[in-house]
Amino acid sequence: MSVSPTLVLQLIVNGLVVGGLLGLVALGLALIFGVIRVVNFAHGEFITLGAYLTWMIAGGLGLSPFIGIPAAFLSGALIGWIVQVLFIGRAMERPPLDSLMMTYSLSILGLGLFSFFFGGDFRSYSAGPNGDFNLAGVTIGLRSLSVLVVCIALGALVIMLLRSARLGLAFRALAQNRDAAASCGINIRATERLAFSLAVGLAAVAGALISLIGTTTPSVGDDWLLEGFVVVVIGGMGSIPGALAGALLIGLLQSILGYALDDSWAKIITYLLLYLTLLTRPQGLLGRAAEM
Amino acid sequence: MAVARLNSYALAATIIVGALAAALPLIGASRYQLVLVYYFAYYLALGQAWNLMSGMTGYVSFAHGALAGIGAYATVMAMNAGLPLWLSIVIGAAAAGLSSLVIGATSLRLRGIAFTFATLFFQALTLLIVRKLPETGGAAGLPLQEILPIWLPQLFMIVLAALSTILMMAVRASRTGTRLLAIKGDEAAALSLGIASARLKLLFFCISAVLAGLAGAFHGLFTASLYPDVVFSFDTSITALAVPLIGGVATAFGPAAGALLFVGVGELLQIIAPGLHHVVIGALLVAVVLFMPSGLVPSTVGRLRDGRKGERSPAASREFAR
Repeated sequence: MSVSPTLVLQLIVNGLVVGGLLGLVALGLALIFGVIRVVNFAHGEFITLGAYLTWMIAGGLGLSPFIGIPAAFLSGALIGWIVQVLFIGRAMERPPLDSLMMTYSLSILGLGLFSFFFGGDFRSYSAGPNGDFNLAGVTIGLRSLSVLVVCIALGALVIMLLRSARLGLAFRALAQNRDAAASCGINIRATERLAFSLAVGLAAVAGALISLIGTTTPSVGDDWLLEGFVVVVIGGMGSIPGALAGALLIGLLQSILGYALDDSWAKIITYLLLYLTLLTRPQGLLGRAAEM
Repeated sequence: MAVARLNSYALAATIIVGALAAALPLIGASRYQLVLVYYFAYYLALGQAWNLMSGMTGYVSFAHGALAGIGAYATVMAMNAGLPLWLSIVIGAAAAGLSSLVIGATSLRLRGIAFTFATLFFQALTLLIVRKLPETGGAAGLPLQEILPIWLPQLFMIVLAALSTILMMAVRASRTGTRLLAIKGDEAAALSLGIASARLKLLFFCISAVLAGLAGAFHGLFTASLYPDVVFSFDTSITALAVPLIGGVATAFGPAAGALLFVGVGELLQIIAPGLHHVVIGALLVAVVLFMPSGLVPSTVGRLRDGRKGERSPAASREFAR
């Protein structure tokens, strides 16, 4: 097995695509954990939602899959809002066990609904960009390239929102100290709902993009969610810079290990990294526990 | 343990129900009825195993299905290697217990969500690894070579379900049980009172894993063939936590109601809508968490005693369900 520079570049590009998608997932998980203090085990269902929605738009109606991206975001954000109001917000007022069981129960319910309506088939579609182009010997599929571009653009937008917009300030205030944030006049309920809604919208977009480069099954979101959890644990729960750095790391690792060994081993080693992090640096590789 | 506070009526009732269930083949129950009773016992044993750790301490395990699976694989592999039945079962239970120490050592000294993550990934890892290893038969699975009479694993499972229920009663009535509930309520306060929380959590997780491993071992003997995608699917872990959560978490008799409901719902769905299993279980769990967070049994008992609508505080209604 000879390792040429082109091969390395190719693996890095592939890793960036996976890392970008993981970044969108982990960004949402970190936002929810930071602002609402809930681990969202139902996050994967929103990825699956976005993927099936885009499959219906592109595969069923024959339209461009890029219409699926805003559609996924809007429907994810709307359903997320409703879920936060009806379910998670209510369970949050009780002991932590209740909110954990609530998100887990919602994930079982979601998985059941997707299996019931769509069956276990692998879904994909041919609409949208096809083919690939070459750059210095590195082949990049047009679909992968669009995924990468959307991930970077959306990620930058969210970071700008968190850093400079008033809403982002409210998110950070809640993550630091709920009581102080409330006494400063921040509407806690509304901020929590917006944070959940935004995070879940991002997950749905990730799902829409995943349907573009892979196949969609009822459990596609859960597979990505497991890797998303590894990312947020490695990056430090609730830390946004940590989540992004972790996503990049895991994406590249998956790409390289998947080539050198196979996909199962890549997963096994990724999951073992979670144990290593818990053992040696439970606060995550980057810094303190609840920084954003 | 202060067994003096154990409710002797409840203890007698458990033993009588267990003995009746075990005697069913002798009085000519049909094969279908026997299978229903077997699954009730299987769900109850799994549920009590989860209840003993996660129900009592609040540290949620998503790995009880995997622990049961490890018990099943270890037992069947030992049997196929020619070891006697009792030794194979001991090996199965020990394998599950050892696995729990591995999970516990990496995560139980941490508070909060770390343990839950460690169990979630343990479940995912065992499936990936068992599918890879040639010794475990890989993705194709592993048959049990020796044919056992079907009543034997049934009897084992009924005894296990009854014993784990009695163990749960004993723990609830003991000072250790109160310590566990204190960890669940406020771990920092429990520590400050001198409760050795890390050691207790590890001990009870290990006991809980041994029970799950035994349930898995008996189920492996019952089904006589192991497929990794079935044995290590998340469904068993969901059952282990849904049974006590629906019936009544941290109670001795809640899981019995939960297991009964699980068998009933499972049979009903087989007839009317086989595809809706996850939907119904998920919706049931959501409804329980929202409307009766202490579970069916404590809520119902609380209502009967109070004679008014709505339940009392979860702590108060949990007391009733002892």
